[in-house]
Amino acid sequence: MMNRKTLWFFMLPGLLLYTGLFVYPAVSGLFYSFTNWDGVSTSYDFVGISNYKDSFDSIVFRKAFFNNVKFMLTVVIIQTIVSLVLALILAKNTRTRVFLRALYFFPAILSSVSVGLIWSFIYDPSLGLLNTALTSGGLEQFTASWTGDANIALYAIAFVQIWAHAGQMMIVFIAGLHAIPEELMEAARIDGATRFQIFRKVTWPLLAPSATIVVSYTTIQSFKAFDLIFVMTDGGPNYATEILTTYIYHLAFSNYSFGLASAGSMIFLVLLGLLTMAQFKALRRGGANG
Amino acid sequence: MKNIKMKSSFVLALTLLLTVVLSACGNSSDSSADGKVTISFLHWRGEDTQAFQKIIDQFEAKNPNIKVDMQTLTSDQYQSTAQAKLTDGSVGDVFASFPGAQYAALSKAGLYTDLTNESFLKNYNADLIDVGAKDGKQWAVPYQLVYNQPIYNTEIFKKYNLTPPTDWDGFLKLCATLKQNGIIPIAFAGADIGPGQLMNTMVMNNEPSEDIFTKVEAGQAKLTDEFWVKTLTQFKELNDNGYFQDNSLGTKDAAAGALFIQGKAAMLASGSYQLAQNAKQNPELKQALLAPITVSADQAKYEGVHTSTFMLGVNSRSKHQAEAKKFLEFLSQPDVASQYANETGQNVTLKDITYDSPELKIAGDWADKKTIFQPRFTILNSENQKAVTNSIQSVLGGATPEQAAQDAQAIVDQQIK
Repeated sequence: MMNRKTLWFFMLPGLLLYTGLFVYPAVSGLFYSFTNWDGVSTSYDFVGISNYKDSFDSIVFRKAFFNNVKFMLTVVIIQTIVSLVLALILAKNTRTRVFLRALYFFPAILSSVSVGLIWSFIYDPSLGLLNTALTSGGLEQFTASWTGDANIALYAIAFVQIWAHAGQMMIVFIAGLHAIPEELMEAARIDGATRFQIFRKVTWPLLAPSATIVVSYTTIQSFKAFDLIFVMTDGGPNYATEILTTYIYHLAFSNYSFGLASAGSMIFLVLLGLLTMAQFKALRRGGANG
Repeated sequence: MKNIKMKSSFVLALTLLLTVVLSACGNSSDSSADGKVTISFLHWRGEDTQAFQKIIDQFEAKNPNIKVDMQTLTSDQYQSTAQAKLTDGSVGDVFASFPGAQYAALSKAGLYTDLTNESFLKNYNADLIDVGAKDGKQWAVPYQLVYNQPIYNTEIFKKYNLTPPTDWDGFLKLCATLKQNGIIPIAFAGADIGPGQLMNTMVMNNEPSEDIFTKVEAGQAKLTDEFWVKTLTQFKELNDNGYFQDNSLGTKDAAAGALFIQGKAAMLASGSYQLAQNAKQNPELKQALLAPITVSADQAKYEGVHTSTFMLGVNSRSKHQAEAKKFLEFLSQPDVASQYANETGQNVTLKDITYDSPELKIAGDWADKKTIFQPRFTILNSENQKAVTNSIQSVLGGATPEQAAQDAQAIVDQQIK
């Protein structure tokens, strides 16, 4: 057994890096959230909690928050269903399963920026692949300004987020499905249960831990989304896709309002913390039930 | 003994770690043992690095004791990280900045060295470097000159016997003729640069004032005032009549450019900076610049919009200000600036420049016209800037001009303290 000093010796470089790169910025962010620092000047004034008050009062902040919630709910619900369905199909011993699993997983290995750029071209209303395909297929009435229409832009990006990550979550479900003992399925079949009954009474309850992981991961990932929206719409049109992370970025790096952006980041951190705690609670419950 | 070894290893590991971390933050501009000074030149024009490197080589040959280390960031990265690098003085003895919010922030932080008495200022067109002056002193010299008005395809205009109109009715008639002939009148990148570019010429005569947005930011004028509601109404008129391509709000810069380059659109709502790029992609293209005049001919005060940008300054925290100024002086020589202009396809703010490409001459011809500094860049708060351009997107998305103006004003009101 290693003694304490040896343990510290091996931990210290990591701890130092973690403190320097994560703890220090977080603490200094909290500090700057009470100032009017512009991110450039060497001097600043303390402004108390006014940055927090301004954030909650801000029309754009409120829009960004509601967009965040809409985006998160859309992605979590649809991505969980899609990845579950894909897993149920591809967990079976079909000849094409390896190829299809690789195909669905493929978007996960691309960077978000590349995905955003590719889909920006696909969504382009004049020259893009999607509208061109719809028009060629006689479905002209379904063409749209996918990222230009304020009513659908957020959902168009949510679709891309789902496309990019559903394959990843499918793997989690497949692992969960493989962990279900075959005897239970066999017993259910012998008892004359239908496919749906087997899914509802056997598969789904035993998949609960996997589902909880998928929902938790997707919730946190979609809540702190940034790259896709930044690349595809930068929050537009007319704030329709502005979310908290893009709002904070704009405040800090376009408007040089570092104090206000730090307050926004702190609020975001608390929201994310609350969400994570709720997820862990659900995870524990899911694990216990499962 | 074991403990001593352990402690030594620990100290060694820590030293190595700190060395690695601190070396990453090292100062790149310094004096070497042979007395050579290295200055850092920080900017975002990655596409100009070859042209700049040639100029730097010439500078170094004439000034053997000065080495210029050029570093470029993408323009997004430049917005987000340049200020931190400049603040600690680690890079950017000579640095570039955007006019507007970035110049205002860097200036407020005292990062510019006063250039007021530098002899090379006389090489610049005095009217075009105002934007780098504050409180009677010249802090930065904008190097590039852009005319932010639509580009038009002269062959298409010729084909339909059209000339740049001098009033709003004429502009609408021109658009109608193009549309009737199956040509998209204006390729408009509504998803990114479009609103921020076209708003400049659309507003320049509706409120022919250089400080209207300064007044808006100070609470002395409102976006709900006639000048902006009228501008939004005219945007709506162009959109409702189908003078922009379909679904223009979803169109990005590259796609709008493609419509123009392919001859599907007669005008491109961007600026002179796009001329060289267009010519590169379609050498047959014949282009010129025109600004929509939104009032009657007798009320029009301005013919177009200009922006002096790529503002070069000397970092006040630089250890080598004299050498940095020497490099700035070199860049300001007419022959060097001409070389830069011709190799990069960018017009410059200096006098006595020889432009050798048709695209540069097109913009160069505008030097004698009555232009106003880009109104959008007079909005120093980027939240306000976004509120203004978003109100255009809101109108194109179906809102009434009055409502869009009111929503934008509500955001501006929150920024006024």
